[in-house]
Amino acid sequence: MEMHFIFSDKVVLLFDFWSVHSPAGMALSVLVVLLLAVLYESIKVGKARLLHQALVSLSIPTSQQLIEETDQDSSGSDSTPVGKTRLRWLLCHFGQSLIHVAQVVIGYFMMLAVMSYNTWIFFGVVLGSAVGYYLAYPLFSMI
Amino acid sequence: MDHSHHMEMSHMDHNTTTAPAHHHSATSASHSHDESMDHMMMMPMTFYFGFRNVELLFSGLVINTAGEMAGAFVAVFLLAVFYEGLKIGRESLLRKSQVSIRYNSMPVPGPNGTTLMETHKTVGQQMLSFPHLLQTVLHIIQVVVSYFLMLIFMTYNGYLCIAVAAGAGTGYFFFSWKKAVVVDITEHCH
Repeated sequence: MEMHFIFSDKVVLLFDFWSVHSPAGMALSVLVVLLLAVLYESIKVGKARLLHQALVSLSIPTSQQLIEETDQDSSGSDSTPVGKTRLRWLLCHFGQSLIHVAQVVIGYFMMLAVMSYNTWIFFGVVLGSAVGYYLAYPLFSMI
Repeated sequence: MDHSHHMEMSHMDHNTTTAPAHHHSATSASHSHDESMDHMMMMPMTFYFGFRNVELLFSGLVINTAGEMAGAFVAVFLLAVFYEGLKIGRESLLRKSQVSIRYNSMPVPGPNGTTLMETHKTVGQQMLSFPHLLQTVLHIIQVVVSYFLMLIFMTYNGYLCIAVAAGAGTGYFFFSWKKAVVVDITEHCH
């Protein structure tokens, strides 16, 4: 394995069946890796937004509300839900955990794609991260 | 030299054992082929499922049997759970130890020409305080564990990668249960 960045049209990415050997295949692979990076950034933001939405819907005070409260009133309210919302919170948190697993796996896949030391793939990952961050961040503000 | 002799012995063992070894070599042909070449492509670059001659992080740690792979699966799983717990624990420790709060007031122009006082509140730690030293030590441990998990994932072994992912999910599920209030989207590479 070459240990420096090279420009090449031939690379094998992640799986045995994903072997690239033409410029068109490389363009397509770069696009796939770019979309993967966009997905990774949007999962990061989406997880936070889902958590916020779930907390609001289950009427548990969120961090922003707590920050506004602590300036006036320093009562330590317990953040764990009680009563019948507990099951709903359990399901929501289980869903959050699955999203977290997806985020971890996609993050590692991107690391392994960059590890192929192919410069086009590297550009795809970086560009995808930039585009994903740029598009996903305003999403969080639109709660 | 000793290690290559060991690899040769285990390679001979592949060809003389029963069906599971042949099944393994059929499903991950590229991996066993690379082993026999031995001088090119020692590291697999695609995902494979196998438990023969899997080197794990250190030179003495080689997995050769299904039992050893199961043990390695459990160990990697627990390492990933520990990593998630360490992350959450550091967050809560940071919040508990933020004692010094500084207020900076500065005048800003308001509407109708009046002057308003804008107050900035900053929380921080002293550099030589015990909480900060503890945070630093935990940070080093977190960085090392995260690199270990990355290197484990880099073995491209399917079982170990699944162990990392499952451990991360389980650790997140158990440790982030009560951490619902803290939301941090600025962290990268978690």
